Amino acid sequence: MIFSWRILPATLLLYVLGTLASPTSETFQEELTLRPLRDGKVISRFSFTTLREGAVPRNPELLEAKDIPQYYTLFPLGLGQVLREYAASELHLSLNSGKWDYEGWGYPGEQEVGTGAQLWAWISDGGSATVDERWKGLRNALAGLFCASLGSLDDQRTTSPKLAFVPVGDLPAWKLPHQLRHATLPSENVCTENLTPFLKLLPCKGISGIAGLLNPHRLFDADWHGMSVHVSWREGRGIEVRLAFQAVFDPVRLSIDKKRDWSLQSIFDKSIRKACPVASSSRIVVELPKNEAYAIDPKPSIVQEGFAVYDTSHVEKDLDISLRWPLESVFSYPLDPPLQPLSPLSVQRILKGTSQSRGQLSVSIRNTLPSEVQAVYLETMPWHVQFYLHTLKILVNGHARDDPLSDIAYTPPVPHGRPALLESVLRLPPNSTTQLDMDVMKSFLRYTEHPPDAQRGWDLPPAVLVPLVNSTSFVASGASTLLGNDMSRRPRIYTRTLLVDLATPDFSMPYNVIIMSCTLIALTFGMVFNLMTRRFVVVKLRETPGRNEVPMEKTE
Amino acid sequence: MSLLSRLKRAGNEDGARVRIRRRKALAALLWKRLRFIRVTLLLVGLIWMLAIPLPMLSQGTYIDENALQPAQVNTYWDWADVHRADRYLDQVEEWVQHNISSIERADMLVTEFQKLGIPAATQLYAYTNGDKVVQGANVYAVFSSPRASGDEAMVISASWLSRAGEGDGTLNRRGVSTVLALAAFLKNYSLWAKDIIFVLSDGYMEGMHAWLSTYHGSVQSNLRADPLVLSSGVIWTALNIDYPGHSFSHIGLFLEGLNGRLPNQDLVNSCQIISRYTGGIPVLLYDQFHHSEFPNKDVLDLPFWLPEFVKRNKEFKEFSYRAKNVLRHVGYQGRGMASGVHGLFHQFRIDAITLYGEPAPGPHGFHAMGRVVESSLRTTNNLLERLHASFFFYIMTSPYTFLKIGKYLPSAVLISVSMLFGGISEWIGAGWRVKKAEGGNGKSNTATSEVKWARQPRPLLHALCIVLYTHAFGFVVFLALTGTPVLNPVIMLFLFTLCLTSPIPVLCSLTSFARRDELPAINRVLKSINLCIASTVISVTSVLNFSLAATTAVLLGIPLTLASSSPLLPVRTVMYLLYVFLAFGWMVWLPGEMQRALWSWEILGVWFAPFVCLVYAPLALQGGLACLLPM
Repeated sequence: MIFSWRILPATLLLYVLGTLASPTSETFQEELTLRPLRDGKVISRFSFTTLREGAVPRNPELLEAKDIPQYYTLFPLGLGQVLREYAASELHLSLNSGKWDYEGWGYPGEQEVGTGAQLWAWISDGGSATVDERWKGLRNALAGLFCASLGSLDDQRTTSPKLAFVPVGDLPAWKLPHQLRHATLPSENVCTENLTPFLKLLPCKGISGIAGLLNPHRLFDADWHGMSVHVSWREGRGIEVRLAFQAVFDPVRLSIDKKRDWSLQSIFDKSIRKACPVASSSRIVVELPKNEAYAIDPKPSIVQEGFAVYDTSHVEKDLDISLRWPLESVFSYPLDPPLQPLSPLSVQRILKGTSQSRGQLSVSIRNTLPSEVQAVYLETMPWHVQFYLHTLKILVNGHARDDPLSDIAYTPPVPHGRPALLESVLRLPPNSTTQLDMDVMKSFLRYTEHPPDAQRGWDLPPAVLVPLVNSTSFVASGASTLLGNDMSRRPRIYTRTLLVDLATPDFSMPYNVIIMSCTLIALTFGMVFNLMTRRFVVVKLRETPGRNEVPMEKTE
Repeated sequence: MSLLSRLKRAGNEDGARVRIRRRKALAALLWKRLRFIRVTLLLVGLIWMLAIPLPMLSQGTYIDENALQPAQVNTYWDWADVHRADRYLDQVEEWVQHNISSIERADMLVTEFQKLGIPAATQLYAYTNGDKVVQGANVYAVFSSPRASGDEAMVISASWLSRAGEGDGTLNRRGVSTVLALAAFLKNYSLWAKDIIFVLSDGYMEGMHAWLSTYHGSVQSNLRADPLVLSSGVIWTALNIDYPGHSFSHIGLFLEGLNGRLPNQDLVNSCQIISRYTGGIPVLLYDQFHHSEFPNKDVLDLPFWLPEFVKRNKEFKEFSYRAKNVLRHVGYQGRGMASGVHGLFHQFRIDAITLYGEPAPGPHGFHAMGRVVESSLRTTNNLLERLHASFFFYIMTSPYTFLKIGKYLPSAVLISVSMLFGGISEWIGAGWRVKKAEGGNGKSNTATSEVKWARQPRPLLHALCIVLYTHAFGFVVFLALTGTPVLNPVIMLFLFTLCLTSPIPVLCSLTSFARRDELPAINRVLKSINLCIASTVISVTSVLNFSLAATTAVLLGIPLTLASSSPLLPVRTVMYLLYVFLAFGWMVWLPGEMQRALWSWEILGVWFAPFVCLVYAPLALQGGLACLLPM
């Protein structure tokens, strides 16, 4: 008691100083959306938003000067320090595992679903450190923060597309303009070591609130899972950090009797025990099935527009939401191909050809909308896979055309340095399939450039398609008002990643190669040395005159 | 000190003289003994080939890639899954009974996959071969594994026709049912790191060939196939299930792919270990039983004329068991034929084998097959890289033993070296002639040192023209064979007569263009080029397709070495006829084999038919011409 009395003045002083020094206030909101799909799967999407009101990103011109003290209460300290240190105005990091099935699962709530790691940031120029230096520092710091191999998102993977990645928030109007840096690492695996630091950034960690459902055993068993961090600034509001976790569960696989009924307990193996006390708003939204008999338990706080909303800012007893289809004894998959695919645009990208020197990249985009859609098509390729633009062939419904492509921006690759970037605007006619075919050449790598698992091949990043329309037309239901904040933005569609086989030396035989080449060198040296130190004379073999005078060599 | 003195001694003129003499003596000795060396090399090569099945040359197989860990997992395939497979089998039987078309069947199969929640699609294809059209419908389903990026994939396939009887109409009913039941079963697990593609191909080889070609975007002019709606990643491994009978007693491993390609041996060894330890099923190489398993039955088909004590000899039995396996291998690999549907995968750098349920009254069925496939998939699922550690060049002598390349390759190369020496000696011989003036003297005199030799120009151009003519003739024959829609015996006989008379233009042009005294030299240069080309062909092919090289070496080695002219015209004609039969005899004697080779070339792109027509037959024909031309 005496001890605590003694330190009280100091604590009070610190508290007073803190409130004085930080004019900003912070709010934390959390939300979980659960959406059953027609193939029995359930998409769950966690979103944790921390808003630091009134804060502004750091101006890079003032990087040399000492930073003003930052006092965080709910805002994640580790992330805040990284943002201040490298003066990043906007930042998006996503770590995903699995392949998003746009046709079967529809358009995702969290749109950054490209396989592997993706990092993009808007960084302003200015100050003594260049944008690229700070980009390098940023990705290394984030690599440390999230235990991911983001450090290898080096110059060989970094690009600056013009159209596909527009800022989500606002960019401060400083003297020098902002620049975009974007990089992907398709072979990054996402697992528990990434989730633990992710949870650490939350004010209630994984202990209470809906974050308590984030059970790694179940999340990393899901058909698809991914986490993302979004930092943006909005003028007049402040800096917003949104941490999101999205997973697609298959209750049919998890259940013994092959039913699609699910509950929080059955998919997360956890229920909500207590609320997160610092959350200003906390809710669970369940999309309700249409034209089907179902039972949802417990009774939701509100039901509107086909959504059941549970307020979880106060939890009295264990909350375990369950959705059941009581008339179904066994789930049967829908057989007839549905008339309306869940995503109006679908992209298939494949790399054809089996030779180790050439191949063909084939992208086919289907538009099922009754109207023409303009879309930005972005293709990033590491330098060792070069595509030839002059071989680009466009087929619309099987007929060759060259008008759908416009505004082509192409950054050629620099061997051993920079990736190639192709960005252009595609016009996709209504109800059509557009196919783009391009020849690619596979480079011959230096043997030191091969990764340790050389025989696996090289992972190529996903292509990105950005339809130049609002997301609202992309979601079948009128869910946009309820389902969060990023629906007003342009959607972004990621294709599959690819694996390419380059010519690979047989790394199991380095000694054979060394021995072979050393022998050759020794033989050549011996011959040349012999010739250089030799004097040619005539040797008489026999005393008898005639044909036996043979010119012969003699060593000296 | 001694080194210095030796250097000094070597430095003076005497030492150099000694060394030069020694060198010359050695060369003379080699030249004198050349015939002996050639015969020795040839014989050693041939005997080596005979010795390939010897148990002492083989070594035991082993797993090289540590990631594979075969037979180290618990399998979950259970009787409920067997029941499901039985229900699928009932459906398949019903389709067979109602004799429904392959397109209808494909649609039903797609529905079965969709009932499981796995996206599936059909692919229609049609080959035009001459005026015949072969068409069918493939079914494929892509199970996107949870959490997997879909960059890599594994294939489980079953063709509608079984390899039993090489696709003569035996249906692979239980193979198809196994794949369907496996699809339902494998979907329940989230441990797959790669996509799993289920392919139920129509026909025997042609359906899978159409599917694979489309998947990899390889264009074939006579194939029309639907584009694939569903896509997945790079396929690393494939297992083809062939289960034609009611039950099976053994699992037979079939390895050989098109154009003599073999799968990585790790895959073969893994499946062998899994079959034995997880499935509890004995393993066969092909469908060849081991004699120790059936002591009272003659499973080796030994020739009846062998004395009984030889037939009962244990070592001899073991030798003939292995020899049968090696011959089977040479038969498939040499002809470039795939021993099963798996063989189509190898050309796309996919390691694949066929698991063949050897039909028997018992004791194994769906339960054992399912467990073996499940465990094999778990093993290939472990791969972080393509299979690359173990052997790609080997000869299996039994399921558990094999020969490394170094143990069999020299046999063909020795024969080729012998032929090369022959070619060089003919080349040297063609450049010299016995001097006319002392010619009579020299011949009567036994002392060879008295013979006077004179240089003579080699008529290289004439000989080259003949060589080119024979190869062009082979090409014409090839075009005729591939261009003729129906190859009936009358046409074949006509073609063969054409082949017989093929040297007429050569003889005519030689009589008009070449001097009479040039003919022996032309003959020698022709033989020299012939031997050198044959030697090169054998040694180069031996690395790509050993069986083909070995067969060529056996067929051409002795005949081409012995080919020589004779002063008597009847002898020359008979010799020539023998060589033509060696070159083109297959037209008359093996019409079925020829049809199959041509079909393989047209549809699957197997190089055997063009090799025979453009390389092998012209070489033998050149040997015949070397006999026919006067000396």
